[in-house]
Amino acid sequence: MSIRLSAITRGKVLILLLAIAAVAFPLIHDNDADIDSAANAAAYATLALGLNIVVGFAGLLDLGYAAFFAIGAYAYGILTSFQVMPHWSSFWGPFDWLDLVQRMPQPGGDVVHFTVSFWIMLPVSALIAAFFGILFGAPTLRLRGDYLAIVTLGFGEIVPIVVRNTDSLTNGAAGLNGIQAPSLFGFNFGVDALPYYYVAIAMVALLIFISVRLRDSRIGRAWMAIREDETAAMAMGVDRTRTKLLAFAIGAAFAGATGTFYVAKLQTATPEMFGFPVSVMILVMVVLGGMGSVWGVVLGAAILQLLQSWWLPDLSSWLHILGNGLNIIWLQQVDLTHAIELIFGLILVLMMLYRREGLIPATRKEPELDVMQQHAQVERGTAIALSGLHHDGDATLSVRGITVRFGGLTALNAVDLTVPSGGVVAVIGPNGSGKSTLFNTITGLTPADHGTIRFGDDDITCLPPHIILRRGIARTFQNIRLFNTLSVLDNVLIGQHARLRTGPLGAVLRLPAARHEEATARAWATEIVSIFGNRLLPRLTQTVSHLSYANRRRVEISRALASRPKLLLLDEPTAGMNPAETLELAEQIKALHALGVTILLIEHKLDVVTRLADTVIVLDHGEKIAEGPPDEVRRNEQVLRAYLGRGALARATADA
Amino acid sequence: MTAGGLLLQQLINGLSLGAMYALLALGFTLVYGILELINFAHFNVFMVGSFVGMWTLQAMGLKGQTVILTGLPLAGALLMALIVTMVASGALGVAIERLSLRPLRNVRGPAAMITTIGVSYVLFNVVLLGVGADAKNYPNPLPPVTWTLGDAVLRLREALIWIVALLLMLALQMFVQRSRLGKAMRATAQDPEAARMMGVEVDRVVVIAFFAGSALAGAGGLIFGLYYNFTSFIIGFTAGLRAFTAAVLGGIGNVPGAMLGGVIIGLIEAMGSQFIAAAWTDVIIFSILVLVLVFRPAGLLGRVAPNKS
Amino acid sequence: MTGLVVSRRTTLLMTAAVAALGSSARGPLARAADKTVSVGVNLSLTGADADSAKRMENGAIMAFDEFNAKGGVNGYKIVLVPYDDGTATSGQYDPAQAATNARKMVADRATVAAIGPQMSGAGKAMAPILSQGGLAIITPSSTNPDITDPKYAAQYRPAGKPIYFRTVATDAYQGPYMANFYADVLHVKSVYILDDSGAYGVGLADSFQAQAEKKGIKVLGRDRLDPKAADYTAVLTKIKSLNPDALYYGGVLQAGVKLAKQSYDIIPKVIKGGGDGAYGPEMLTAVGAPANQGWYATIASPHVTDDAKIADWDKAYTKKFGIGPDDYAVTTYDAALVIIAALKRITDAGKVPTREAMRDAIQGIKVDTLQGPVSFDANGDLTDKTISIFQIGQNKEFPDDDMRQYKYIGVAPSS
Repeated sequence: MSIRLSAITRGKVLILLLAIAAVAFPLIHDNDADIDSAANAAAYATLALGLNIVVGFAGLLDLGYAAFFAIGAYAYGILTSFQVMPHWSSFWGPFDWLDLVQRMPQPGGDVVHFTVSFWIMLPVSALIAAFFGILFGAPTLRLRGDYLAIVTLGFGEIVPIVVRNTDSLTNGAAGLNGIQAPSLFGFNFGVDALPYYYVAIAMVALLIFISVRLRDSRIGRAWMAIREDETAAMAMGVDRTRTKLLAFAIGAAFAGATGTFYVAKLQTATPEMFGFPVSVMILVMVVLGGMGSVWGVVLGAAILQLLQSWWLPDLSSWLHILGNGLNIIWLQQVDLTHAIELIFGLILVLMMLYRREGLIPATRKEPELDVMQQHAQVERGTAIALSGLHHDGDATLSVRGITVRFGGLTALNAVDLTVPSGGVVAVIGPNGSGKSTLFNTITGLTPADHGTIRFGDDDITCLPPHIILRRGIARTFQNIRLFNTLSVLDNVLIGQHARLRTGPLGAVLRLPAARHEEATARAWATEIVSIFGNRLLPRLTQTVSHLSYANRRRVEISRALASRPKLLLLDEPTAGMNPAETLELAEQIKALHALGVTILLIEHKLDVVTRLADTVIVLDHGEKIAEGPPDEVRRNEQVLRAYLGRGALARATADA
Repeated sequence: MTAGGLLLQQLINGLSLGAMYALLALGFTLVYGILELINFAHFNVFMVGSFVGMWTLQAMGLKGQTVILTGLPLAGALLMALIVTMVASGALGVAIERLSLRPLRNVRGPAAMITTIGVSYVLFNVVLLGVGADAKNYPNPLPPVTWTLGDAVLRLREALIWIVALLLMLALQMFVQRSRLGKAMRATAQDPEAARMMGVEVDRVVVIAFFAGSALAGAGGLIFGLYYNFTSFIIGFTAGLRAFTAAVLGGIGNVPGAMLGGVIIGLIEAMGSQFIAAAWTDVIIFSILVLVLVFRPAGLLGRVAPNKS
Repeated sequence: MTGLVVSRRTTLLMTAAVAALGSSARGPLARAADKTVSVGVNLSLTGADADSAKRMENGAIMAFDEFNAKGGVNGYKIVLVPYDDGTATSGQYDPAQAATNARKMVADRATVAAIGPQMSGAGKAMAPILSQGGLAIITPSSTNPDITDPKYAAQYRPAGKPIYFRTVATDAYQGPYMANFYADVLHVKSVYILDDSGAYGVGLADSFQAQAEKKGIKVLGRDRLDPKAADYTAVLTKIKSLNPDALYYGGVLQAGVKLAKQSYDIIPKVIKGGGDGAYGPEMLTAVGAPANQGWYATIASPHVTDDAKIADWDKAYTKKFGIGPDDYAVTTYDAALVIIAALKRITDAGKVPTREAMRDAIQGIKVDTLQGPVSFDANGDLTDKTISIFQIGQNKEFPDDDMRQYKYIGVAPSS
């Protein structure tokens, strides 16, 4: 008989076992050199965790990550070595009293020797590195992914060069020597491997904890939303620049703290330690373990470090023995550690070609629904219960004279449009008539060349997308832009991003306020999804890419509704649905309208338009050619010609 | 030496460097133009090219600095080395594309770029492990002919670099502008979907771009060896990054832009060493890279393309 | 039979367990007997200085092999544990790798003394760690004076006692003596100075510059080369425009090779020289004639490889390794002799050769070596401070890559 533990319990047991193994390792295996290697592995694991936040969570390929490692390293190195030694004056007295500096007698007059404690510098270096993360990130993060990679590579090159050339501060290429080792309660760590090992695994444990907490919070969801689809994320209220900067800063902070640890252990810091190859090595760790996978990158770092310091040397010495036995000269001399970078290269290529998700994929496959769940009676949902959607504000949208040009092409030409508060307006028109451009312009994704857009009493013409969402306009996309690797629940939760407040600190500490907010958000998400009855409810934890087309449409509408919009923009909501599903959705939209949500929709199916809309607006070649009640517009000859072509016009006339 | 002569001499130095960077930048530009992919493997295709050139010259009996040729034998040996190097490098580029990049053509995100970093590492380390880390004495069959221009000296090898680079770039420009394949290439760069619908074989265009870009990088590698009289496994990274900066500065995806960018970067390097300090040249160049990307991502000659995403 | 079905996950776990066990029983080379001590030898075996490093390592191998072949001393034998502080990514020595190696040596309890490093930049990173570990190291070629200078004791020997010994003189003599040679023998009036931005190169160039100014040589300028860059023509063009009599280069061969080639093109007539960083087979193989002709180089030890009295040793070395020794192979061999002598002295007294005992014995040693009698002053520096000068010229008797292409000029003037 077997006892089946729940997945969560099993996970906890596994973590506990790992923790015990990590703590007990030096006691079982009493070899300083190996403990030292293990401490290095742990230090690289912290770097990999930091880069994972930037590359794995937020999807920003950073090729100069080692720059932040360098900044943290030099911050500690300069403040604890003999490089910078100003003359002693009474100014330094208080610092001496605080143990931050030491008065050192010198023949030419006493000097100041900085001796800032390692324990103070750990968080301080993290902050300094985070500051530089923001400094480097702010002007560059709006660049596209591949350009960003190159700019970060540029920064990664500049930092070591600046370090090499500012001799007075950093001792140039010779590097800082005699960096102070940490000490705790009078015990100096010195060159003993053991205390460094414990500090390193404590740092790994802490950073794993922070990574997991951030990942499972509002912040982590926003990062992944940006990674999956930047445009959709912005339209769902995620502030792109802030969110990216936060990832950059937190990733840099991890590297800064690790830099301090690393040079404290090595007691030396040179510019060579922080070049491009180091950035690549950390990237290899992340790629090997799995981008976005917290446990994966730790495993990746451990494997690569141990490969370098244990397995390859051991394998080499076995080959030497074999070579001695067989009397083969080159076998006696082969040194596999020289091939480590070749192995890095091969890992990058092979992982990208054959296992992009890494050794431990970030998103595990949810169990498929069983047959019972698949065939459960489909219940139609209703929006009646959604009292949370009700609001009193003025939701009048008025678009005046909007013109949008792409190069020589005029996508919209002086279009006027009014959606009265509480109304339903439909926009129809042939393909390429400018309907989606109109939506993009209203939601701030495409800037208008002329004209104004007002919502309620406010001018929202050139506001960024996430602000427009906060004012109460949410939308769906014609070609469904969900966050594909995330679950249904997470997608809907991102819709609430702008309404939630939890910051990084709240997310990590899970303060009562953050917990309460998260619980409320989940309850609201479930409530929203229940408009669609049990079509989505049983699939809440499934990855959206596994859903049917119609269900993905429903998720997208739920996501938009989650932000409690006053005005909902639906871009062909029923596209790809069969007639029964179309009818069902139309009913549900009607129910939403009954709750007071103002609706602007693009739709091709005229029966849906007729059923829902009070007013229909017809666009053709970027110009408004008709406006009026559905029945009236349906008979408009110009519309029929533009929209349906001549044949249909003839048929329509005949029908009439 | 007068200030004018000095300036002229640094101009000569800068143009020689620039010609090399331009050859290398063209490969980035061709591939980026079509696939929107930054190809880090290109750095080390250049490096491998310089070794292939060295081995070819050595195979013809040219070793060290002592065997000097003139006239037809010189032209023949150089042409032979150039052709072998370009074909071998081009083939290497095509192999990289087929084996490691084509399977990732439609994968979203940084996968392809990460792969090129991996390939670059593989090339780098295979050469390192194969031939060792020390600098190699590059065969130099060129006679020490120099011309004096005022105070400045123009050596035969500099003149040769300019001529070869210019001819290769003209050939490429002709190819891209005039030939059927070149037109297909430009069409694919503008809109791959539309090009495919118009009957352009995109795979073939990509292969040609990789071949041409890598062959030019190989030629750059050979020229590097002849110019500096050494080669080593390490030359790819620094030259590659500068060439990439050149491509971005000129407007990535733009063939004349890459040439212009290369020359500008070469001149900045020469003048920077003269008037600022050699140690800060890299910082200047990378600052230019960052500033261009942030403030004028389309570069000097590029047009701002409508957002494809 | 369900019990025998092994799932994939179980296999994975088992593999991991086996790997873990394997790692805890690591190291196929078990220490044979208690009476074997280890000596760590840290050189730059990867990168631009690998050729010299190999010749030096051979020197140590030869000394210990001879010692062990004679049966050791008082039952003690020596195992040589090689360390490489060169990395492919830096293309030469890497201080971080050197520091890591120092930590490994300290962590290995069997290691009682060490030889190395080859490079001063590595030495600066290693010294503080070795000091805390109480492990004495004898460098056969690193010449930067700071490491042993008592002024920097807090930095390089935080534990107090000197642990960094040398079988060579330092750049406190190498640079200045060369400046004397430039001024008094070559009658140089103006000089341009370059360094390769490494610890050794900067220090050497600084010490040369100070003495050159003292000797009345006009220093026209100073520039710093990036050892990884390919192109130095711009800076050489600048030098050409200043028209100096001579060029002095402080640095090692990664930049040196390129500098020699390009300076031959641009400033062929200027006198060129460097320290022991310019003394290496790569100047002969990678630079080649004619660019390397006329270059001066120094070494911080007496020149002995041409001496008749070590001809037999030279022959044995060449026979054993297939390449000839250079002078730093001699100083490495001498360093090994010092360690052997220290081991003998301790064990003769019936004591255990601990690290501390070894350090103290080395400090007080007086031993006859190939380069002559070796003893150390209170800071660990060699008492004898001979600087030898060479010039590259073509010697048709020997192959192009033979170190005898460096023609011995003489001992550098000390004032």
